Amino acid sequence: MATQTIALRKRPASPRKVVRLTFSYGLLILVTLLISVPIIWLLVTSIKTDVEYNVWPIQFLPKVAQWKNYAEVFAAKHHIFRYARNSLFLAMTFTLLTIITSSLGGFAFSRFQDVPGRNKLFSIVIALLIIPGLVTVIPQFIIFSRLGLTNTYWPWILWGLGASAYYIFMFRQFFLSFPKELEDAAEVDGCNPFRIYLQIFLPNAKPVLATAFIQGFSGVWGDWYLPVIYLSSKNTTLAIKIATGYINPQGHIYVTITLAACVVYILPLILMFFLGQKHILRGMVTSGIKG
Amino acid sequence: MSMAQSHVQQTGSRHRPMSRKRRRTAWFYGFITPWLLGFIFLWIIPLSVGFLTSLTDYDGLNLATVKFLGLSNYMRVLTADADALFSFGQTLKWTVLNLPTWMTLGFILALILNQDVKGLGFFRTAYYLPSVVPLVALIWIWKIVLDRNAGLVNAMLNLIRPGTAINWLAVYALQGLTVIAVWSGLGWAMVVFLAGLQGISDELLEAARIDGANTLQIFGYITIPLMTPVIFFVLVNGLIGSFQQFMVPQLLASIGGGAAAGFTQVPPRSVYLSMVHINRQIFNFQRFGYGISLLWLLFIIVAALTVVVFKTSRFWVYTDAKEK
Repeated sequence: MATQTIALRKRPASPRKVVRLTFSYGLLILVTLLISVPIIWLLVTSIKTDVEYNVWPIQFLPKVAQWKNYAEVFAAKHHIFRYARNSLFLAMTFTLLTIITSSLGGFAFSRFQDVPGRNKLFSIVIALLIIPGLVTVIPQFIIFSRLGLTNTYWPWILWGLGASAYYIFMFRQFFLSFPKELEDAAEVDGCNPFRIYLQIFLPNAKPVLATAFIQGFSGVWGDWYLPVIYLSSKNTTLAIKIATGYINPQGHIYVTITLAACVVYILPLILMFFLGQKHILRGMVTSGIKG
Repeated sequence: MSMAQSHVQQTGSRHRPMSRKRRRTAWFYGFITPWLLGFIFLWIIPLSVGFLTSLTDYDGLNLATVKFLGLSNYMRVLTADADALFSFGQTLKWTVLNLPTWMTLGFILALILNQDVKGLGFFRTAYYLPSVVPLVALIWIWKIVLDRNAGLVNAMLNLIRPGTAINWLAVYALQGLTVIAVWSGLGWAMVVFLAGLQGISDELLEAARIDGANTLQIFGYITIPLMTPVIFFVLVNGLIGSFQQFMVPQLLASIGGGAAAGFTQVPPRSVYLSMVHINRQIFNFQRFGYGISLLWLLFIIVAALTVVVFKTSRFWVYTDAKEK
């Protein structure tokens, strides 16, 4: 990657430069505000009462911050923990499985370039990267439902076990940069390829592991479509609960409590993003452009 | 794989290279077995099953009464389903509106972030944040921003013009969808463009400056040409993504209702996109056979467009750049 560090050039602070800097920072801050307004509005609305939310003309801020909305999100009668547990299970299972199977594939495609059939198979991987997912989702659904696997978590397990072209490509790109000598030395020492993968490659692949984990987890955690078509209200995910909303027995929706739940629902992803952002932003770019 | 071979020593025999190769082949196929099985069972078989289904009137339940229809599902799309053609037209409109807006704004953000100022890390994070917001939360956020009665936008307009109550999500649904999708996708485009911009060597820009080129000339003659491979990559991704859009309009229509977990609600006409129509055929009306034939047609169009973009790329994508 040709990401160069831009050396800070020391120049005398001319009036022209001051103007330019003011303009630059002004622009940066303005855009930040514009982009973050919807998120701020979500946060503000989540601590209003429903009456304040519905009042006309609108009231920008709540009279009293309703922190109890957040307590209500976790109230036992709404079963949020059950939905969150389902989301967590699906996200973890799929992500960990696909990381195992895809990293094995990425290792094979990057370090076994001389093997017969490898090039043909790799061009299939590339083709699968471009083919839109829409063509397989419905046929897979038909097959899984005929096998009686709808309403279970098996599809996510099978998707994980089947590896994914996207993550294979990502791991392959990363493993390409490992020096050949590393492998040769280990082979001379009597390491078989699986041990080389497990003890040399994987431990040194933390950035790409982090990227794959965060992307995979966010993908399943944030998914709405597959839980809708595969699962029922008994075993569905947090995304569906939030989309349906917090509803009282009469079927009336509590909007601001649902919005508070929304904040709670986003939080794990934001947290993960902050922990791994160095890796994700870079990983996304390298997996896309290079090669 | 024979275990005896693994102990052949350096001085062993002239068979060694051969056996090593066979051993490596076995390991290779062992490693990719999960993916190979996945390729067969999650791609090849579904694609075949999908194609066969598209030739029938399968309703998702009864196999016993399935009738073979030949290509008549495909014919029906063109002759008897005005909504299919309408939704495709809307998909085109949406793509034409979305792609340039998204790419231009992503590029501008990347340019803004590619300046020589401190604290860029903070701003980059801030700009990327919307991309972290998951779909369902995205829809809630924009629902309360664009809502007719309780929305922020109307509230602001009311400060200037009291009594404003525009139903943005109905009257300006297509524009609203674009705003939402762009807000959500901006981070990705920005990061990719930014990486491209940072890959342009400083010496090149400096040399142009010394030669007397002004900022605009540098941008037009150096930055843009060198960025074309990245623009191409973003364009292809955006094209494929735009044609598959349906979740945002579908969820906007149904969120917060008791039946948000389905396809019973119909989005406004202007955002009645192809994939919305297709999903309704399948999950609302149980027309699996017909729905999949629609899917295949859409896929063929997307594939054809992608090929066109690839073919034309040699006229505008700069390829003489050094590898990496």
